[in-house]
Amino acid sequence: MTSKPQPRATAELERGYRNMLLPAVFAVGIFAIVPLAGMLALSFSDYHLIRGTNWDFGFKNFVRLVSDKRLMGSVYAMSVLSFFGVLTQVLIGAAIAVGLSKIVGKWRLGRVLFLLPYAVPHVAVALIWLSLFTPTLSPINAFFDLFGITVPSFLTTQNGALFAIVMADTWTNFPFAMLIILAALQGISPDLDEAAALDGATRVQSFFYVTLPLLIPAFLMVTLFRFIDSLKHFPMIFVMTKGGPGRSTQATNYYAYIQTFQNSNVAYGAAIAVTLFIVAAIISFYVARLNQRITS
Amino acid sequence: MKRLLTTLLSASLFAGVAATTTVHAQDEINVVMFGMPYTKGLQAIAGDFEKETGIKANIDVIGQDVFENRITLSFTGNTGDIDVVHTPVIQVQRWVAADWLKPITAEVDAMAVKSDIMAGPLDAYKINGEQWAVPYMAATGLMTYRKDILEAAGVEVPQTWEEMLAVAAKVHSDETAAIAMRAVPGQGFNMFIFPMVMRAYGGKFFEDYTAGDLTPAINSPETLEALNVYMKLLNEYGPQGAGNFNFAEVQAAAQNGQITFAVEGTGIAASLVDPDKSKFADKTGITLPPGGPAGRSPAIAVHGLGIPASAKNPELSAKFIEWAVSAETMTKIALAQPFSNFTTQSVAQNEEVIAKYSKVHPDFLAVQAEALNLAVGHYRPLLPEWPALGQAIGENINGALNGLMSPEEALEAAEQEMRDILGL
Amino acid sequence: MARIELKNVEKAFGKVEVIKPLNLEIEDGEFVVFVGPSGCGKSTLLRLIAGLEDTTAGTIEIDGRDSTSMPPGKRGLAMVFQSYALYPHMTVRKNIAFPMRMAKIPRAEQKQRIESAAQVLNLTDYLDRRPGQLSGGQRQRVAIGRAIVREPSAFLFDEPLSNLDAALRVGMRMEITELHKRLETTMVYVTHDQVEAMTMADKIVVLHDGVIEQVGSPLELYNRPVNLFVAGFIGSPKMNIIDGGQAPGIDAYKIGIRPEHINISTESGLWEATVGVAEHLGSDTFFHARVDGMSDPITVRTDGSMQVNRGSTIYLSPDEQKIHRFDAQGIRID
Repeated sequence: MTSKPQPRATAELERGYRNMLLPAVFAVGIFAIVPLAGMLALSFSDYHLIRGTNWDFGFKNFVRLVSDKRLMGSVYAMSVLSFFGVLTQVLIGAAIAVGLSKIVGKWRLGRVLFLLPYAVPHVAVALIWLSLFTPTLSPINAFFDLFGITVPSFLTTQNGALFAIVMADTWTNFPFAMLIILAALQGISPDLDEAAALDGATRVQSFFYVTLPLLIPAFLMVTLFRFIDSLKHFPMIFVMTKGGPGRSTQATNYYAYIQTFQNSNVAYGAAIAVTLFIVAAIISFYVARLNQRITS
Repeated sequence: MKRLLTTLLSASLFAGVAATTTVHAQDEINVVMFGMPYTKGLQAIAGDFEKETGIKANIDVIGQDVFENRITLSFTGNTGDIDVVHTPVIQVQRWVAADWLKPITAEVDAMAVKSDIMAGPLDAYKINGEQWAVPYMAATGLMTYRKDILEAAGVEVPQTWEEMLAVAAKVHSDETAAIAMRAVPGQGFNMFIFPMVMRAYGGKFFEDYTAGDLTPAINSPETLEALNVYMKLLNEYGPQGAGNFNFAEVQAAAQNGQITFAVEGTGIAASLVDPDKSKFADKTGITLPPGGPAGRSPAIAVHGLGIPASAKNPELSAKFIEWAVSAETMTKIALAQPFSNFTTQSVAQNEEVIAKYSKVHPDFLAVQAEALNLAVGHYRPLLPEWPALGQAIGENINGALNGLMSPEEALEAAEQEMRDILGL
Repeated sequence: MARIELKNVEKAFGKVEVIKPLNLEIEDGEFVVFVGPSGCGKSTLLRLIAGLEDTTAGTIEIDGRDSTSMPPGKRGLAMVFQSYALYPHMTVRKNIAFPMRMAKIPRAEQKQRIESAAQVLNLTDYLDRRPGQLSGGQRQRVAIGRAIVREPSAFLFDEPLSNLDAALRVGMRMEITELHKRLETTMVYVTHDQVEAMTMADKIVVLHDGVIEQVGSPLELYNRPVNLFVAGFIGSPKMNIIDGGQAPGIDAYKIGIRPEHINISTESGLWEATVGVAEHLGSDTFFHARVDGMSDPITVRTDGSMQVNRGSTIYLSPDEQKIHRFDAQGIRID
């Protein structure tokens, strides 16, 4: 007789839960770890679709990365797209979430309405915005033409094209930010606003001193999720600008695609992808840690 | 062994799709193609193939970007899940270099239809003495123009790009721009169109392609002149935003009556003179794209069907291809779809086919035949590295067009990048 | 210091009338308890006073000033919520300082008030913690501290003790009562627990279905409930309500007799009863007895030493002086 017998019921329960995890572990193993390991191996190889491989493994792809001017250009495009894209998505999403929950709390249709852009496939979103930014097709240009005003062509300049992609990306992704922040807002007890009101805070003060600080974890999470996703910019660029004008909207992910599929340089494409993954992982780690520190 | 290992290595890049090898039933084949009138038409009559042969053909028609990823996955992973693949001539060199295709010389020789297929497009698939695919269509560059506008301006249809510049200056207005052409960067986008201007002025990609001297030579005074003409046309006489136009925008601009000239491929050009597709069709004429001091070189894009190296049942695949390019099948599709650029010649003698396309536009079939006659097979170089080269050149041309760099800088950069890609 | 007066105050949510037009005066320094079953409108009434809800009609005067449409922060009132409503991201110190920050009270003054409040409420050691790191009782004290420091003219408590366990509740009850004695500030306190009401209030307001049933001191309510509702609500265990016919000679539709006002005998009495369940509390024993002809058992209170067996027969006689009489409308007959 041991002094602390294992309670059978709990053990079984635990085993049950563990079994439930198995499919997920299996799926992660197959769909995340295996390709990731493959990509890592490729990034050190010299594998080229046309030239094959000489089994020359080493760091030369990574050495090439450092001096690749096109990569630097792509990092600039990616940074602009990610920074302004995520920023506007989070700000607009937050503004609408606050509006929906505080001002028109019972307008359920509004929530559905604002979610719609999120349900549209990215390629379709890109096509919509491509036509909005193509002067010969755009109703916006047609409208201003009526007053003799010529709206400039966005997609033929670097900043204009980046702006257009940010717009399309924001339009389709702000509902995600809105949804998360709305959920966070609903998790904040209405008592707090009332307490603040009695404590003499105006509505604006109450929002900035009480509501906003409590939304920080949600803001961090939404920013992180959107940021990681934004590193994978592809459909918008592919449909709207094909990387142009010139190469000015070739974000890093798009550049990796060109290296892999157009230039057949699979190893170099993998090295870019691996580097991107590592950067995303490091940033995610720090944001997650920051989040933990704030919530505890 | 080496080949197996590389295959495994690269297959792992693509999320374990390699693990899901399709099991073939004895009488079933999978065909993967991207969307075009012919491929859609073929898909629609797949049942006829089964009725004739008892073989079930699963025809998958997907977007061009998805297509690239799908076949790269399948071929590097050696999955054997594709039996017949859409093979653009512009890709075939690269695929052969990567060992993705099966040589089918004997199979093609055995096909009764072989003698009926246009020799030029068929030979475009001949590499190292072997046949790698069978063509079904050859699209060429064509030009459409608004007869009413030219008449009003009292000008003739330009025969050269030089004349085009002069005419464009006369017909260009705020309501109707003179000309639109594909401009977005890519070997199938601006690099389908720009070489028409380049070749007309005597510009070339390499020192001497036909003699095998592949020293990049795009940075030449001839190409520079061509680029300046191309840029002037689009920037001064093109619609607003022309620098980011792809074929869809060119087509829409013409259909909306926003441009006078469109230089495009057969498919788009045909839609612009077809009364069912464009309300300006009756005022639109169709002709050859302009030429220049070095002649006239319409763009050409040949598409065909090939058999992947990993295909499990090459005999069935060959049977399918023979059926798909047969005069009978082609005629059906030519009648059911806007598909006029078939490469099986006897289809052109079919009364119904002639009637259909004459109704679209009386000059259409004749202009198309002439363009095909003028086109050179290596309009875009037939090299495994072409997709990479075309991408790099196209990006620089587009950069110059949109003012990110001077034309001189663009050509210099393009030539340097060609060297880098070719490892020179 | 505040005197609060409600004149014809009325509140409806859509078509549901939660507070029917009522008048109420709360004197300066008074400890007033709103009591009633859930849904009676007591919390709504408190929130009307606080300014968290708008009145549908009527006026609310605080210290003679019409405050009906004044925002909550301007009314000079402090409120303690059932959920405590502490700001989770602020330390205890910042929570307590918040109303002073909003009122732009100088830092030094803030610091001094926080320290003295913390001392009074035993929070000195916890000032740098976050609410999440405190026990229920400590959070309650912080909420009270936040209310005290702004030196309000009245405190509003919305069921502040209902989330605490029984022992803590008794302790906090006394602390709040003591606080009231020391500050001598008006306090309005909402509870559904009549024991809290009886022990703490100077004045009890009994609410039922949005209507004030009775206003009075705890003993007034105990001794002279104006109707059957108040009679049944105030006092523990509940008053026995018996059909008038069961008490010959007393002319009433219903009579009420509290369990503690019934004499027991094993030999003779007005009603012969069979003993049912007995509850022994040590100090007291409550037992339930069935009388033939009465629908409900009678609850009787005796001292702890009384031994009665289930099923045995006893005789019960109400103390005639303590019988409450009610008419057919449930109104007290004097």
